[in-house]
Amino acid sequence: MKFFFLIWSGIWRKPARTTLILLQVALAFALFGVLQGMKSGVERAVQDVRGDLLLVNPAAVGGTPLPVAHLERLRSVPGVKSVAYADMLIGTYQKPDQIVAALALDPSDEWLTLAPSFFKVLPKDLAALHKTRSGALITVDVGRRYGWKLGDRVPVKSLTPRVDGSSTWFFDVVGYIEDNEPGQSSLIAINYPYLDEGRARNQGTVRNFYAIIADPHQAAAMSERIDSTFANSSAETATASLRESAQQTMKTIGDLDFAIRAIVSAVLIALLFSISTLMMQSIRERVPELAVLKTVGFTDRHVWVMVIIEALTVCVAAAAIGLGMAMVLFPYAAKYVPGLSMPPSVLLTGLLGALLVALIGVAFPARMAARLPVVAALSGR
Amino acid sequence: MRLLRQYWALLTMNLAGAPARAGLVSTLIIGVACAVGVLVSMLAMGVGARQEAMGNVRPERVILRSQGATGVADSRITKDLALQLRDLPGIRRDAKGAPIAVSEAFVFIQARDKRSGSRLGFPMRGITGELTAYLPELHLTSGRMFKTGLRELIASNRCAERFSDFKVGDRRIMRGGEWPIVGRFDLGGTLGNCVVFGDGEAILAAFGRDAFNQVDVMLQRENDFEGLVKAIKANPLMKVDARHEAQIVADSSRQLIGILDFVSYFVGTIMALAATMGAVNSLYAMVDQRRRDIATLRALGFNGLPIIASVLTESMLLALPGAVLGALVAWALFNGTAASPLGASFHLQVTPALGALGLTWALVIGLISGFLPAIRAARVPVTVALRAV
Repeated sequence: MKFFFLIWSGIWRKPARTTLILLQVALAFALFGVLQGMKSGVERAVQDVRGDLLLVNPAAVGGTPLPVAHLERLRSVPGVKSVAYADMLIGTYQKPDQIVAALALDPSDEWLTLAPSFFKVLPKDLAALHKTRSGALITVDVGRRYGWKLGDRVPVKSLTPRVDGSSTWFFDVVGYIEDNEPGQSSLIAINYPYLDEGRARNQGTVRNFYAIIADPHQAAAMSERIDSTFANSSAETATASLRESAQQTMKTIGDLDFAIRAIVSAVLIALLFSISTLMMQSIRERVPELAVLKTVGFTDRHVWVMVIIEALTVCVAAAAIGLGMAMVLFPYAAKYVPGLSMPPSVLLTGLLGALLVALIGVAFPARMAARLPVVAALSGR
Repeated sequence: MRLLRQYWALLTMNLAGAPARAGLVSTLIIGVACAVGVLVSMLAMGVGARQEAMGNVRPERVILRSQGATGVADSRITKDLALQLRDLPGIRRDAKGAPIAVSEAFVFIQARDKRSGSRLGFPMRGITGELTAYLPELHLTSGRMFKTGLRELIASNRCAERFSDFKVGDRRIMRGGEWPIVGRFDLGGTLGNCVVFGDGEAILAAFGRDAFNQVDVMLQRENDFEGLVKAIKANPLMKVDARHEAQIVADSSRQLIGILDFVSYFVGTIMALAATMGAVNSLYAMVDQRRRDIATLRALGFNGLPIIASVLTESMLLALPGAVLGALVAWALFNGTAASPLGASFHLQVTPALGALGLTWALVIGLISGFLPAIRAARVPVTVALRAV
């Protein structure tokens, strides 16, 4: 208890200095938390992606699109549970920069289970879309930016011409979806039959199929099997599981790891120096007090331990504050960076890091305090 | 004048004492160095990405796409229209008198990544017209140019680095036919992504298409653009938008550079704040060590203002070597390093402008962190000096 009191008064001997150190360490570890949280968030997001969902794309995008007739052959590939498909209509609303990306869904109920990988949709909204041929489900973001609401009939100008020669497509807003991609969304969902029967070119084709397979561990083999089914046909496919595509994207973020390590190293070096010199400074200023402690019976080891605990307390407390700040910030940042999270491992690494920095930083000052010659200190020499 | 002299005396005294306070001084310097070093290194990514994107851009190059196209994918230029566009006014002509204009058909194909074995996509561009006249920076490093009308390809050297089967002589199977790689090229100073060029007509035919995506033209002079646009507007059958190559490239790289710069400034700001806290602490300690000196000077009639000014100057001067150190380390470690975050490839570039930016940040860190300690120094009571005697 007497130790606790001594350490506590040691910490708050210069409140301004301690507050500044606390802030500095807290900031450093808040940064650490945000960076690590970003990394682990991306990693977890990839893990959460469905492994049993294969995207069947054309081998060459920009060439002949895949015929919807591939559907039956895809369904008959052994191991494939069910198949859905979609196409995309790109257009603009009123102004050339008000883009509308309309995903045209096939009429199956498969989308109730499929959709969550791309957007969130309620069963009643999907049912409303299926009921209205020219229907459209919009995101709240699209509704707000373009001023669309339920019941509106909206014109979308597109370079995909209609059979009647016009280039304007009309949609009836019948419900809402929520885009999984953060940021400004231009996504709406429409009916594939409405698009396909209305367009002058590429009738009977799709942008891609979605094949759900029975065993997610067979994803790679199943992809090969599907591609070989259509090899040397007029519309070859390139199949990959959604998770594999996500992992590809992950790899393109590749250098993230190195950058985070470099930044964290720089932060820790600066902290080490700061803690070390400020503890030295503090010990120097406290020479008479420490000498008194030793005179009244505190051993060198006692003083050594006290100085170390003082530094540890400040550093670990500050790191905890910093990591806490990062966690408080995450819900706000989640809008821009998907999947931000702070797993216990990051928390633990952060606290261990703080411990280590404190130990290394205080090693020399603590030794100095312990070896302080009492007589010299008391005599003010 | 008297104040200036006092200020000068104080400043020299402060700086002369620096070696004796090596620990505190170096803490300040290293804190600033880390903050500036990280900021400069991270901003070097944005600079590198910008250089990579804009490095080959020429003001005379103009790209024509369908009116209202949101990108290259939904732009569609029929062969007839492409021919008409070649005769627009202002287009430069080659030695034979033919307009320098090429029609491009984009097809995105996939190849196997050498390291991971997974398939990655890249653009194959089918070209009709004199490619080398439009892209003078294209240098064949081996092999030869593809021949008109044949199923032949040339690939950028980056393709062969990243993907298997892109050596000259390799044959790629597409649309039931063999497409030999007949040449390899690079595009001047930029690192470049994997790009494959082939004959426009051959690619259109093989992929069952009847239209190009865009027409690229080289203007006589940059300011022939107005005339070109006017001529397009005058012809109601020409439903195309003309945009400078620079604008299209800038638009397509804006998001990447925006993200890189945002992250750089976000991390840089937090590091600068942390460095400021550390610097304030060091400066407090330095001022405290000088309390007796300052009090003595106050007793001799020194004014508060020069004291504040001298501490502020000192903190800024001490931050400067930190900035130089940080920028130098960033330069030594990362200048020219290849990076490929978010799917883009470029070299980090630590430019003098970034160094200057780093210095500015350091000066601001110095100024802000010197503020409180300076006030504390100015308020040292004279009695401190008298008591010490």
